Amino acid sequence: MNNAPQILVIDDEPQIQRAIRTILTEKGFGVTTASHGEEGLTLAAANEPDIVILDLGLPDMDGVEVCARLREWTQCPIIILSVRDSERDKVAALDKGADDYLTKPFGIEELLARVRVALRHSTNRQGAQNKVIKAGALTIDLVWHIVKRGEDEIKLTGTEYKLLAYLAANHGRVLTHQNILIQVWGPADADHTEYLRVYMRQLRKKLEIDPERPQYILTEPGIGYRFISDG
Amino acid sequence: MKSAVMRISSLISRSGQYLLAIVLIASITAIFFGLQDMLDTTLIALLYLIPLGLITAYWGLGPGITGALITFLTLNYFFIPPYYTLAVHRPTDVVILVIFLVVAVVISQLVGRMQASLIAATAREREATQLYELSIALTGLHSEYAIAQILAKQVQEVSQGEYVEVNITGTESLSFHLPEIKLPARAPELIAPIQAARGVHGEILLWKSTPVIASGEKRLLETFASQGALALERARLSQAESRARVLEESDHLKSILLSSVSHELRTPLSTIKAAASSLRGNEVSWNSPARVELVAAIDDEADHLNMLVGNLLDMSRIESGALKPKREWNILSEIVGSVLARMRHSADEHKLEIDIPETLPFVPVDYVQMEQVFTNLVSNSLKYAPSNTLIRIRANMEGDTVHVQVSNQGPHVPPEHLERIFDKFYRITAADRVTGTGLGLSICKGIIEAHGGRIWAENIPDGLAFNFILPLTWDGAHPPQLPMDTEIE
Repeated sequence: MNNAPQILVIDDEPQIQRAIRTILTEKGFGVTTASHGEEGLTLAAANEPDIVILDLGLPDMDGVEVCARLREWTQCPIIILSVRDSERDKVAALDKGADDYLTKPFGIEELLARVRVALRHSTNRQGAQNKVIKAGALTIDLVWHIVKRGEDEIKLTGTEYKLLAYLAANHGRVLTHQNILIQVWGPADADHTEYLRVYMRQLRKKLEIDPERPQYILTEPGIGYRFISDG
Repeated sequence: MKSAVMRISSLISRSGQYLLAIVLIASITAIFFGLQDMLDTTLIALLYLIPLGLITAYWGLGPGITGALITFLTLNYFFIPPYYTLAVHRPTDVVILVIFLVVAVVISQLVGRMQASLIAATAREREATQLYELSIALTGLHSEYAIAQILAKQVQEVSQGEYVEVNITGTESLSFHLPEIKLPARAPELIAPIQAARGVHGEILLWKSTPVIASGEKRLLETFASQGALALERARLSQAESRARVLEESDHLKSILLSSVSHELRTPLSTIKAAASSLRGNEVSWNSPARVELVAAIDDEADHLNMLVGNLLDMSRIESGALKPKREWNILSEIVGSVLARMRHSADEHKLEIDIPETLPFVPVDYVQMEQVFTNLVSNSLKYAPSNTLIRIRANMEGDTVHVQVSNQGPHVPPEHLERIFDKFYRITAADRVTGTGLGLSICKGIIEAHGGRIWAENIPDGLAFNFILPLTWDGAHPPQLPMDTEIE
């Protein structure tokens, strides 16, 4: 079992700890739990887990701060757990380096899917990145800047391609509006969400089968976007 | 300066009174002198008492006594032999003169004293009237500022003060002064604390042009202050009472909410409990289809519970005014699209049609909150409209606003209920027919209104339509126009 991925769960609610521990252990993960921020930070330093699952509402310190303190020394994926309507906190945590979030209450499949994505990204960080991303009929070649649906090449403008490439390179992860704006448009345009909205609409029209019900680029309400790939 | 002028003018008027008294006595003496042959000396002495009384009555004790002394001399000089000297020969005349002097002085004294008490009585009456006017003006005032205003105004009128300032302390201190210009730098001549049984509520400061302040004036100011204190206490009590009433009402609403909520919460909980316990008790075999159904029921009902809790939170946020939209320039069709994508499973028995023009400008809304509005309106339509009917979402630009309509082919709502369906817990049908919190539409209303919009329902020929209007401007700014990039790589 030593090769099993290690997951650190930082959450002060014993019921949630119990549920997550039971399910993740069942699925073959090694699980450690902490109920306080400080305790979590100590355990993270001692065990060097592969993934941290972090609740934002901790008794001793703000989850966003825990996230920032973890990011000072480790790049291990952090999945945020939070209640509904705390978009601001989620965005803050994601901007502070968290990789993903789940809203309580969540389905266990959702949790497992996020854990898998996170694990893949942590391997990608160590090894070579995928240069070709596949999603349904779409193929995105990040080396040659070619986007295809089936055999047909899709013509994208420069900005559209930059946007898609950034989303696809981070497939499965939530990217906040600000994060995308800074990466694609530059820091000066970090607040111009409307740019993003317009280009996202154009991009979806070119990529999606039904642009009103997108299946490749999903909207994370109030937070950002997520690209869904096959991998 | 001013006080010196006043003092001189009062000096002039006082000496004028003495002068008038002398003139009056002189003219009377002239008349008596003319009639000397017809009148007896004793009668003249008696007649002299009439002007003396009048002088005292009108001009006071000083001129009265002076008049009496002058009359004594003129009587002696003109009417008592030997004439034109102040010498008296006859003893009876001495008696007449002495009696005259005594009577004249006594009458002057009496009339003068009466006069003084009359003035005092008038002053008391005026004081009483002023107090009465003050208490009338203060009655029914609930605002502390209004009380301070009235108090300052009345003190100003009554005291003829140069400046009046009323300071009120309490949870919120406030100050009002008259006239509404800068207060003088010097210290006030008079300070009266606004004091009542429950302690000091503030003070009245008075600046006077004449430095001398009579004790009566001070007393009056203190009475005014205590009237003000009473009014303040009354206002504070009535505020406390209305707060208590509001609390009581919200308590009442809370208990309605609790009973409705506990009913709504128990229903999914019972399902979950029943399903979970039967799974746990191994009563259902692992492979049976019943097991799948029970598990699905637990999952669905947990989602339902989550939605209920979310609605309750939204409602409490709307009611406490904490619902502040985080506006951004959004594309309406994207919001609608993501709502419908999420609701696809629950909407598979209905047909959905979206008609939002490409040309519709950006709308300055909170993405998450508008999602909530569309989710609630569509799920309301799903609940009431029969299956296989059409639910249509349309949007149009109307001037500086966007008009959105979510319509369904469900039953009509009686016209008298059209407005009330946006009230909390309001249901036209019996509560058990449809599950929900009775909060969905009131949450929509709260969100739309927080965006500066308006929402209403109307019956359309083949069903019911929810309409709302949202402003397209955001703090006066119009939707941004974006340059499209056309380069192709």
